[in-house]
Amino acid sequence: MRGRRRVDGAVSVDGPLAGRTAIVTGAGQGVGRGIAAALAHRGARVVVAARRAETGEPAAQEIRDWGGEARCIVTDITRAEDVERCVAGTVEEYGGLEIMVHNAFQGGRPHRLEDVDATLWATNSRTAVWGSYYSARFAAPHLRRAGTRGRLLLITSPAGVEGSVNIPVYAPVKAAQRAIAKSLAREWGPHGITVNCVAPVAETPALVGAFATNPVLKERLEARTALGRVGDAERDVGAVAAFLASDDASYVTGQTVVCDGGSFLGL
Amino acid sequence: MRALDGRVAVVTGADEPLGRGLALALGDAGARLALVGDAGRLAPLTTELESRNGRAVAVEAVLDERAALERAFATAADELGGPVRIVVHAAVPAVAYERVAFEDVDDARWDAVWEGTMGAALAVLQASFTLLRAGGGRVVLVTPTVAMSGAAQLVPYAAAMEGQRLLAKSAARQWGPDGITVNCLAPAPEQVPIGVTSSEVSLAPPALGGPGDAETDLGPVVAFLASDDAHFLTGETLCADGGVWMAP
Repeated sequence: MRGRRRVDGAVSVDGPLAGRTAIVTGAGQGVGRGIAAALAHRGARVVVAARRAETGEPAAQEIRDWGGEARCIVTDITRAEDVERCVAGTVEEYGGLEIMVHNAFQGGRPHRLEDVDATLWATNSRTAVWGSYYSARFAAPHLRRAGTRGRLLLITSPAGVEGSVNIPVYAPVKAAQRAIAKSLAREWGPHGITVNCVAPVAETPALVGAFATNPVLKERLEARTALGRVGDAERDVGAVAAFLASDDASYVTGQTVVCDGGSFLGL
Repeated sequence: MRALDGRVAVVTGADEPLGRGLALALGDAGARLALVGDAGRLAPLTTELESRNGRAVAVEAVLDERAALERAFATAADELGGPVRIVVHAAVPAVAYERVAFEDVDDARWDAVWEGTMGAALAVLQASFTLLRAGGGRVVLVTPTVAMSGAAQLVPYAAAMEGQRLLAKSAARQWGPDGITVNCLAPAPEQVPIGVTSSEVSLAPPALGGPGDAETDLGPVVAFLASDDAHFLTGETLCADGGVWMAP
């Protein structure tokens, strides 16, 4: 029997996302993996789009182990042909695409703005912004077909609203994603498609790494977080992404949901 | 004594109506101006500034080349007889203003608008840092409210404007200790040729009647941001849009 999500991790065939197909980029680890799991738990078929099979395959296998449907398609989000192939493979396998989640990101090492060179900029820009562009572009025809079930979710950051003193170019590329979401929300509204952002803070390999190199960051973050803890990628962040992907959020578009335990309160 | 008497200000994008208005206002506030852009296109403006007893030179530089900008800024400082204290960046690649359905945006357009705008903003900021770090100064980026509201058929432009706005915040956070403030001026969408009206983003008409005049309405705001009086403002976005956006 499969009911709503149970403690043992069963997948819900009558869940809010049953019968829908999702692609989650960067789902091999961290926030992306949490979102993929949350969507799968609520009944969605999930394509784990990961740059490396070594992380993507285990993430997909974990979902299948629960009894969910998932597969990994190795995808470099910065390459148009990869994203095109990922979307085509998804549609071929599952018959459509309702939910496109772009989460993959590379960058985030501390730097000085005056020292930013073309390489550092390109890493941030290609994964966050070009990745959003490619995700939107290749998913677009399928989301249009999905109509009011069509969803584009871009995973951004509180830094995209408040700026960043440690990783300055992270802020503009994350901000650009919010502007893309707002603009596409306006442009695709007539089709019933919603476009939103989630701005999470969750315990991920990236954040753990950032804390390791900058212990003060952890202290500051915890001190200003109302709920006093760093979020869980699936339970805390994935749940919000799943809500935005569901029918319950059909009238929410162009928004950024900050899911960080009440750390950044500037929206 | 005027607020900007004797200051050297660099202005990009003064060959367009919005940047032109801002440059005239800075000149009227006493600044000596280095206008980055094509000398031929800027000639009427430099003449106008000089007819108002101001000083202005046109300097040519590729906007997304930091080294070229640093040389141009240094040349301007020499010609105008003082260190650069103010940088106002209003230029964007002309292609950014074109309204195109998202499905028709290809890689070349995304590159020209997003990377073109951000590459220039980053280079202008970095060159500004080189010039301003010794004595501090003011940087103002022009980011129409479309950055915050989004706009259909303008996805890469909105992304670039919002990207630029957050680049300013990060710069403000890092360069505050150097005495450099970085702020944004957000005019109404009508101030740039993108075909967007305020009524697309607000139920109410502009509280002050319209999008305003670049020189007489927006000009004094940029002159304030460039002045000593604005020394405690940084990372801010001033919406001078006639009372439309009103957020936050």
